[in-house]
Amino acid sequence: MGKKELKVAFFLAWRSLRRGSRSSAILTILIVGMCFTNMIFLPSLFAGIGQTIKTQIVDYEVGNVLVSPQAGEQYITDLDATLDLINSMPGVERATPHYAKGATLKYRQRILGSSIRAIRPTDEKSVSPIYEKMIAGSYLGEGDTGEIIIGKIIAGDPTIPAEEEFYSSLGGVRVGDSITVEFGNGYTKDYRVKGIFSTGWTSSDNSALITWSDMELVEGGSLDKAEYITLKTKPGYSEKFVKDELVSYGVSSQVHTTDDLLSKAIGSVLQSFDIINMVSLIVSIIITTVVLFIVITIKTINSRKQIGILRAIGVDKEVIMHNYGFQVIILATFGIMLGVTLAVLLALYLSYHPIVTPEWSAYMYLTPMDLVSNSLILFAAAIVAGYVPAYQVSREEIQSSMRA
Amino acid sequence: MIECRDLRKLYQMGNVGVRALDGIDLTIGKGEFVGIMGPSGSGKSTLLHMLGLLDIPTSGEITLDGIDVNTLNDYQKTMFRLYKLGYVFQDYALVPELTVAENVSLPAMLRSDRTEEEFQAATEDILQRVGLSDRRDHLQKELSGGEQQRVAIARAIVNRPDILFADEPCANLDTENSTMVLDLFDEINHDMHQTIVMVSHEDWHKKYFHRIIRLRDGKIVEDNHALS
Repeated sequence: MGKKELKVAFFLAWRSLRRGSRSSAILTILIVGMCFTNMIFLPSLFAGIGQTIKTQIVDYEVGNVLVSPQAGEQYITDLDATLDLINSMPGVERATPHYAKGATLKYRQRILGSSIRAIRPTDEKSVSPIYEKMIAGSYLGEGDTGEIIIGKIIAGDPTIPAEEEFYSSLGGVRVGDSITVEFGNGYTKDYRVKGIFSTGWTSSDNSALITWSDMELVEGGSLDKAEYITLKTKPGYSEKFVKDELVSYGVSSQVHTTDDLLSKAIGSVLQSFDIINMVSLIVSIIITTVVLFIVITIKTINSRKQIGILRAIGVDKEVIMHNYGFQVIILATFGIMLGVTLAVLLALYLSYHPIVTPEWSAYMYLTPMDLVSNSLILFAAAIVAGYVPAYQVSREEIQSSMRA
Repeated sequence: MIECRDLRKLYQMGNVGVRALDGIDLTIGKGEFVGIMGPSGSGKSTLLHMLGLLDIPTSGEITLDGIDVNTLNDYQKTMFRLYKLGYVFQDYALVPELTVAENVSLPAMLRSDRTEEEFQAATEDILQRVGLSDRRDHLQKELSGGEQQRVAIARAIVNRPDILFADEPCANLDTENSTMVLDLFDEINHDMHQTIVMVSHEDWHKKYFHRIIRLRDGKIVEDNHALS
């Protein structure tokens, strides 16, 4: 099969598509495009959900790296020195400590059990973007005492009766209101609500934060310990690198990256997504393969006589086979291009208008590699679907083709 | 140019064997315009298909231009058809998505010994000869039956074949167009010294043939030089 033969095969294929049934060609391109979009949509949406969950966990739960107490210990001790060490290490943007204490919150007739988390507001701002999520009032200041910020869920909605609430709340607290907090150690204090935040992440919106200084008052002395430390890595440094550094410097043996924690926390969810994605991918490939197989089979069956004639006048069967092969390649290429365009437009639309659920907002997480790999898979399926009937019909005896 | 010895073709129709060709011996020389005639089912088209390498005989020998074609494999037969033979079919058999010029060029495009300039020049020359230069960019659906058959003839001779086979080329044409096509064959045969083997069942075509081979039940029953 020389260059000249391939050129003639392409010439015949291109002419056939350009001057043949336009509706059939457009319909085939549309089907391939839709199959591609279908292949890419669900997996990238799941990937988007996964990314949203990961971002929320990083932002509101564990940062890029979580440092827990040494095995068998309840707290990270010698906190200031530990923080100084962590903050001086390469790849660490900032570390922030957390200390939580169980408490009962009271507001008018409502009583709510919760845990109050102490933070260092300036450090916390470098690690968690809660300060950007204030829907009323303002974030905590470094020296604030007697002030608390609470999540939207704890604040509650005054129009919803307590018995109808999915999550218990204080029934409509507003900024400036005073709530009474009774800590587990018996310490009781009225706090003025300085701000209310809404992150969209349930456990975060179900939390209440006070300053480190306030918690020291609760504990009755200097608080040089933390339950855990979260930290943000500098751009260009991997979480794994920072984790390894922390372990090697002996900060703690209990250091976890986000991915370590995610694989434990939502690993099964992501696995389920992967299975659904695989099923979706297989179904899409089968549909595309069958559609293209049918299209080319019908085309070749309708052209059997013409194929016989072409062979009679000296056109080699390889040229005839590649003619139909090229037709499929062209149709698949245009279909994939349409599919890529649709997928990118859809991804663009969902990035501005994500599908919002109570737990997360879903957008399409699409990488160039996703587009390339799916294009190649679909392209390969299309070639198989096109070449099989083309091969069969090109091998038929001239006489039986011409009699068709 | 064409020689066949004891050519036989047996078709199996269910349990019944049909002798389409039953021991044909034939020699056709260069430049002859031969008409193969006979009633339906006499084996005319079968003989043409055997000689044109479109079908395989059950037994017998065919020698074209000194080559025993039984020794050729499938690809070699294809190349033999491309380089040495030309075909005109009853139903024109053009590629509907190609223009007149593209249909005519198609066999020439595949020849490794022709450049693009050469096959385009050959196409223009042939189209001029068949009187279709002004229709070169038209599609099959825009042509009359006679024009379509002239395109088919142009396609068949664009490669300057040694032998031109025509299988009832006037079957779908009216008398006027048939005359035009036969006149064209006559002109090609005369001017280009083209060997032509044509199947026909119309008696009035006889006047064009140098020689008529009449078949019945797969056998040659008459072979004369019936010049009008």
